[in-house]
Amino acid sequence: MSEAVARPAAAFQGLRTWWTMLAISLEERLVYRGDFALGTLMRFLPIVTQVFLWTAVFSATSRGEIAGYTRNDVIAYFLLTMLTRAFSSMPGLATGIARSVRDGSVKKFLIQPVDYVSFLLAARVAHKLVYYAVAALPFALVFFLCRGFFPPLPDVPTIAAFLLSLVLSFLLGFFMEATLGMLGFWFMEVSSIVFGYMLVQYLLSGHMFPIDLLRTVPVGIGGMTLADVVHWLPFEYTAYFSAAIWLGKVRGTDLVASLAIEAGWVVAMAIACRVAWWRGTRRYSAFGG
Amino acid sequence: MVFPYTRPMHNSVSGSATAVKDPVICVERLAKHYRVYDKPEGLAASVRSLFHRTSRVVEAVKGVDLEVGRGEFVALLGPNGAGKTTLLKLLSGIVTPSRGTARVLGHVPWERADDFRRRFALVMGQRNQLWWDLPAAESFRLHQEIYRIEPSRFEKIRDELVDLLGVRRLMLQPVRELSLGERMKLELVAALLHEPEVLFLDEPTIGLDVVAQHTIHEFLRDVQQRRRMTVILTTHYMKDVAALCERVVVITRGDVLYDGSLAEIVDRFTTHKIVTLDFDEAPDRSLIERFGFPCEFHGPQVVLRIDRSRIADVLPEVLASAGVRDVSVEDVPLEQIVAELFRADAREAAASMEAAS
Amino acid sequence: MGRYLAIFLTFARACLVRDMTFRANFILECVTSLGWMSMNLAFYLLVFQYTAEIGRGSGWSKAPFFAFVATGLIINSIVQAFFMPSAEELTEMVRTGGLDAVLVQPLDAQFLLSLHRVDFSSLANGAVGVGLLAWALSRMDHTPPVIAWLLYPLLLACGVAILYGLVIMLAAATILMGRNQSLYDFWFYLTNFSRYPADIYSGPWGGPLRMVCTFVIPILLVVNVPARVIAQPLSGESWGAVAAAVLAAGGSIVVSRWVFQRALARYRSASS
Repeated sequence: MSEAVARPAAAFQGLRTWWTMLAISLEERLVYRGDFALGTLMRFLPIVTQVFLWTAVFSATSRGEIAGYTRNDVIAYFLLTMLTRAFSSMPGLATGIARSVRDGSVKKFLIQPVDYVSFLLAARVAHKLVYYAVAALPFALVFFLCRGFFPPLPDVPTIAAFLLSLVLSFLLGFFMEATLGMLGFWFMEVSSIVFGYMLVQYLLSGHMFPIDLLRTVPVGIGGMTLADVVHWLPFEYTAYFSAAIWLGKVRGTDLVASLAIEAGWVVAMAIACRVAWWRGTRRYSAFGG
Repeated sequence: MVFPYTRPMHNSVSGSATAVKDPVICVERLAKHYRVYDKPEGLAASVRSLFHRTSRVVEAVKGVDLEVGRGEFVALLGPNGAGKTTLLKLLSGIVTPSRGTARVLGHVPWERADDFRRRFALVMGQRNQLWWDLPAAESFRLHQEIYRIEPSRFEKIRDELVDLLGVRRLMLQPVRELSLGERMKLELVAALLHEPEVLFLDEPTIGLDVVAQHTIHEFLRDVQQRRRMTVILTTHYMKDVAALCERVVVITRGDVLYDGSLAEIVDRFTTHKIVTLDFDEAPDRSLIERFGFPCEFHGPQVVLRIDRSRIADVLPEVLASAGVRDVSVEDVPLEQIVAELFRADAREAAASMEAAS
Repeated sequence: MGRYLAIFLTFARACLVRDMTFRANFILECVTSLGWMSMNLAFYLLVFQYTAEIGRGSGWSKAPFFAFVATGLIINSIVQAFFMPSAEELTEMVRTGGLDAVLVQPLDAQFLLSLHRVDFSSLANGAVGVGLLAWALSRMDHTPPVIAWLLYPLLLACGVAILYGLVIMLAAATILMGRNQSLYDFWFYLTNFSRYPADIYSGPWGGPLRMVCTFVIPILLVVNVPARVIAQPLSGESWGAVAAAVLAAGGSIVVSRWVFQRALARYRSASS
């Protein structure tokens, strides 16, 4: 077969495999009848507690705003982080990679002409698409019911920036966890490292609170606050950043600069992942696997 | 091979005419059915299953009558899915029946009275009941507490059982580190610590090697005789049955097919005997075939199947054939009888399902 | 009965031995739960930078609020240590036939199924809770009267009892449905409502929610009642709350036991 025909044919085969992966993921989700719709809606239950908590917090403040957020802003923020985390969270990715290294199933990717990282990425895309498909309705329902908390719709460039940051956060989350998983080539127990990562993520990604709140925490060097330090780290871009864009907390040159930082981290992590894969597999084969 | 039996209308053909004396287990029209939901295959079916699920009723036990006397050793023999284990679970009170009654040692099993549970034991093959993380010795001590066994009696019995099975040194190891055979032996010890009057065994030798099976057979025989325990054993191995019991209850598809002694199975379910003739040299085929019985030729050896009713007449003639050096007359092996029983029953099941659809 | 205590101690001892054998894992689990807890504590400290009270006029300023959090830590760690591990294992037991073995023994099945496993690493949070409580009490303006000190342990026990009842009912659901991967999720969502003082549930939506979570599924009584008694001045209302907590504890135990027995009666047992 000539090159010109072989390439599209291989791509077509890849697409078909990917489509099968998609169908199977969907089927898997549907098998758990009872858990299905209920599970997705249940995920929003903690938001209810959040709404009441922050209302209570705000009720005792003097200015009605905290770090530039009104109470409605805060609630809109948490709803948005549910959306952004749906893009950047990669459940089981790191541990899955580490496990396949440990039990040897990674070997087939060393032999077959399939790139492991691309394979994982494609699989994740499939999983995510399926998740969005089944979660779209509950999400839409909740956002509609809570539309009162949101400020008016941002302008088109802001929305574009928002969408861009979402895609970047997906890639960032993926490459960060994939790199962590690759550590399985060097360490037997990756779970402690992953746990440490989860802890830091929990605190610094904006999952628990808007990063702006850290502006009152001084770091001791050059009048910088913790918020400034976190701004340069990749963590806030997996949850906080996109939400902040939508709410208009990051604008103009700040916005562009931050997107650049986010993109920079994506590239850095992608390279780290690649390097870890090369060196890891070299080490792996050297030890007989 | 044609098998001369018909599936009974309701229940079994009892091998012995006399009623059981000192009945310990009485079962009347006991039945258990389950509703099983069909698993969807494929994407479209999965979506449909969100709104409507199809189900069917599985009758695990269809209406069983059984009476077992004290000290009897009864085997429940049947293929997989016959309902033997379900019957055992009903008798030990694990599940409640859909219909029918049962009394074991005077109690209704599924009421799970403590007095009842203290008087019997259940051992299930391939399913461990010893606490996984504890060494067996700890499990035994727990057993002592739970069954309120008097300490000195407990130690005496434990030592006796442990030495009989040769597992003393294994007692201190955590159970999960032991092999299947070792675990089963320890389970048997645990089960007998409280000197139960009734012992239920569910496929105890499954997955074990021949030596372990043999040890366990000997152990069970010994212990049962000494303590006059009533034992019900489910199995699909003929070996267990032949080694241990006189009475066999054959169960297929939730019904009792036969209930009687082993010896009678041969009488009831076979029509012929197997006659093996050894010749000096391979005989002339026509000489043997003229008798009209099915025969197989293996060089100088010929195997004939001769109707039992005609054996007395035909045998002398056959033996008179030239060049017969040796002869043996045997019953059809038990394994074969039972295997054919199961197979014929499965054929009937398939036929009736086709007729119904 | 003494017999039950002896049996429980045997189980507890075996679990302790196992935890000490796999020491590294045990320490890791302690560190894990302490890690999550400290993140949450850091969050609360951060919030108090911006506000003086959680809920205007509710009385939950910094020190009392941390006393509330400490109470929650203590109660939850007891439940996580003594009841949750067995409940989590129930799915596995149903699958492998271990439940059959339990049903055949002359001992209360509920007792065996809720207490045979102890997770000592969960007690780490509780230990920190005790320390946190001491710190919070020392910083409070209000000194609890003697009666509060006497009531507090009783109310902690009531809180544990209410949660125990919920665990048992979830376990009963496991027995009936055979699989329960979402037991832990459900538990998280349910207890999530009780993470903060009940006072935050006010207003047209909050009021009814508070009622439901106090009188229907009384999770709001679990931490709020003991925390209030020790951290806030006692009032006439407090006695009503104490009575409610005691009643809820008793009711929870009774109702859950009934549900559990019904589940056992309908147990299907995995086919062989």
